[in-house]
Amino acid sequence: MATTAAAPSAFPSPFSIETPAGCEGWEEMYPYYAVFDERRRDTDENRFWFWNSMHFPFPVPAFDVLCIDSPYQAVGSWQNRVFAVPPAMGIDYRIVNGYVYISGNPVTDPAKISERAEFFQARAGHYYANWSELYAMWRAKMEALIAELGDLKVPELPEYEPDEVAFGEDRNTAFYEVLTAYGRALRLGDLMWQNHFEFLLLGYGAYGTFAELCKTHLPDIPDQHIAQMVAGIDVLLFKPDAELRRLAGLALQMGVDAAFASGRTPAEIDAELEQSEAGRSWLAELEKVKDPWFNMATGDGLYHYYRSWLDDPRIPYASLTGHIDALRQGASVERPTAELARERERLAQEYGALLDPGTRQAFDELLALSRTVFPYVEEHKFYCDYWFLTRWWNKVREFGELLKLHGFLDDAEDIFQLTRHEVATALDELVLTWATGGVALGPKHWPPIVEVRKQLLQRMAEWTPPPALGTTPEVVTDPMTIMLWGVTTERVREWAGQEEGGLVLRGAAASPGLVEGIARVISSVDEITEVQDGEILVCGSTSPAWAPIFPKLRATVTDVGGVMSHAAIVAREYRLPAVVGTGRATAVIRTGQTIRVDGASGVVTVLEP
Amino acid sequence: MSPAAGAGYGRALSELTGADAASFGGKSAALGELLTAGMRVPPGFALSREAFTLARDEGAMPAVVREQIALHYAALEQQTGTREPPVAVRSSAVGEDSATATFAGQQQTLLWVRGVDAICDAVQICWDSLFSAEAVAYRRHLADTDDPAMGVAIQLMVDAAVSGVLFTCNPLSGDPSMVAINASWGLGLAVVGGEVTPDDYLISKVTGELVRERVGTKTLQYVPDPAGSGVKRSAVPEDRAAARCLDDDALAALLDVARATERHFGCRQDVEWAIARSGSPPENVFVVQSRPVTTAATPAPAAPVSAISLVMAKFGAKP
Repeated sequence: MATTAAAPSAFPSPFSIETPAGCEGWEEMYPYYAVFDERRRDTDENRFWFWNSMHFPFPVPAFDVLCIDSPYQAVGSWQNRVFAVPPAMGIDYRIVNGYVYISGNPVTDPAKISERAEFFQARAGHYYANWSELYAMWRAKMEALIAELGDLKVPELPEYEPDEVAFGEDRNTAFYEVLTAYGRALRLGDLMWQNHFEFLLLGYGAYGTFAELCKTHLPDIPDQHIAQMVAGIDVLLFKPDAELRRLAGLALQMGVDAAFASGRTPAEIDAELEQSEAGRSWLAELEKVKDPWFNMATGDGLYHYYRSWLDDPRIPYASLTGHIDALRQGASVERPTAELARERERLAQEYGALLDPGTRQAFDELLALSRTVFPYVEEHKFYCDYWFLTRWWNKVREFGELLKLHGFLDDAEDIFQLTRHEVATALDELVLTWATGGVALGPKHWPPIVEVRKQLLQRMAEWTPPPALGTTPEVVTDPMTIMLWGVTTERVREWAGQEEGGLVLRGAAASPGLVEGIARVISSVDEITEVQDGEILVCGSTSPAWAPIFPKLRATVTDVGGVMSHAAIVAREYRLPAVVGTGRATAVIRTGQTIRVDGASGVVTVLEP
Repeated sequence: MSPAAGAGYGRALSELTGADAASFGGKSAALGELLTAGMRVPPGFALSREAFTLARDEGAMPAVVREQIALHYAALEQQTGTREPPVAVRSSAVGEDSATATFAGQQQTLLWVRGVDAICDAVQICWDSLFSAEAVAYRRHLADTDDPAMGVAIQLMVDAAVSGVLFTCNPLSGDPSMVAINASWGLGLAVVGGEVTPDDYLISKVTGELVRERVGTKTLQYVPDPAGSGVKRSAVPEDRAAARCLDDDALAALLDVARATERHFGCRQDVEWAIARSGSPPENVFVVQSRPVTTAATPAPAAPVSAISLVMAKFGAKP
């Protein structure tokens, strides 16, 4: 067995992590290549791995691994093989006790770097030069993809094939149709992830360059001001909440607001509204906005259990109730878009005027470029992570129904406990035995596996992953790691310092304000409705989809995230103090503790141990 | 001698402009500029270098200069409705407070001076300070004058609850979008003399938000001597020493002062200010001195390059 002495590091070796009691055998539900394996120890142990808690705050169910594989296949394809970012190839991932750790692959050979630079300049240059046209094409592509997903039928397995198969031309039998539909569903997911990353890197890069210029010449500029100068005002992601605000006003005008009494479920509210003519008209108005605006996810979308507002209306209904309460108290619930737009221009003008003429020119050009690319940076989330992905999980659920119907699963939802390859295998046996009329083993084979994995996921959720593993890097240079995850040299040092424990957490100052309050630690999106007025939300990462509950909060604290994240911008608009990227707030802080959040300095203090 | 004949020696601060710096010194001229610009500056008057030269030649306080002091001081008495109001007497050396050398602290300041006799004595101390060992050495290093001369500014005292210094940039990082404020209890001596760790505030000039704040330990303060003239040092009670000494209104008023001063002079300023015990911001916030910042770091101006080449460099694709 090849072993290498681990370099002294503030972080544990990935090979030293023990399997928590009750989690034995967890590796079995993940691909062989997705775990730390002795055969790759030499390289894996001497790398820096950080927990991607921004995208994977919880243990990953077997099927959801597609949302690890596919994104990293896609991001690496664009970054490494299409644009050939000079110093960085793609991002590797490994799973430890169900949690996802990632590490970038650097390019170190100077000759290779300059070879790649030529590709990058030509190809990225083309994208920057034609951004708006390319992005218009991208939106059309995404809408077509979502439409195709909607049209994709999960075939039934009839006792007798219909007459067309016998008498028509070029007809396929159901065994082929089922396998084809499943394969197509997987490929549509891959296509979405491919689209997801087409512009992302370049978008963040333009923004990051602008931010760097600002910080060089205006060293103390709050990160939020940089984001404010760039962020769009009237962007897609604000539409769902804007529609809810409008509907809240309408409910008052139509005199149906009493239905939104606190403590009622969406179904109870609907039932009361159905009682009156006005209530029914209001529901008809609601129906009109649901497509597409209720295709928001209840979380950041990478887990199958983040349903859309269509599937789980608790968040939009809580938000409607909140807006109605505010309106009753005479508050305005309109987003002051004109004022925000004026402030955005004022900031740009005033900061620009402080710079020398040479810098001013670069500032103006980079700001213009950043504003050109930013709609994509903001809107891809709605198209990909919310709209497409929530519908795609539902399509997978349809295959779950098929397997349940034939006894392969006890519950359609159990399909997510199988890997996508196991589902293919199960479908293979299903269509085989449907065709042959033989006895299927699946009903005896799969349910026990599902049970074991449900238990494993529960046990693994109780384990707290360290923020990083492996060698502590002297400097973090990978542009993606820095731009997308906010994992900088400084952040790694802070994490290393925190390894000893302690009641002070440091992160990025995302939205200013100093407050104290009771912490509410959220480890699952289901708990989001438990948040009480005036609490401080502590979570893996906040999603802009959670913005409607922001008015209830006193502050937010996250494990991972950067100040340019949309959630940070929204927090700022709600004047909600926020500290993001603390590394392990959810591990250190417990619900009910009193904590202090300083959104201006990025410090979170646990006051009550 | 008629008052007009002595106008070359003494002048109300409000009548001075930048052009008078050669005669009255930079400090007095700057205060004149600020008054003209409508800033809240305690009124007062100034003595010219000619007054200094005359005194040097006569070897004592010339009668014509003393007459000017009495005349302008009487105007202050009238203006305030107070007999013998306390004033600050500060040197305003010609060549001082230029953009390259501040002479900060090299010259004399006498606080809470009352009555014409006491003012004349204080002026004489200022004049003498021009030949202190420190001032001579400083001039040798940083200023190119063989013929040093001295103006004097005499300005109504603000009975300060809080005072301090502000920079219209962050002097440490050079960030021009920030206003850095140091503040402590009582008169400004404690802050400029470095005798306390003042409260330290960094405010965005663009949005007015408090970007950073560090509350200092302000264990002592200077207050008017109860005996009637001069100042004395006193201890600050523990709880007050660690308390924030500026509230949001005061910070907002100082931010306005910073913006207006910088706009008026067209360059970064280092401003001494005081907040009077009576009244409330912004009415009780006074500028007592303003001079160009000489020491702040300045980020190197960027060579004019295209935005795209900067983005390329960000990805490690240097052109």
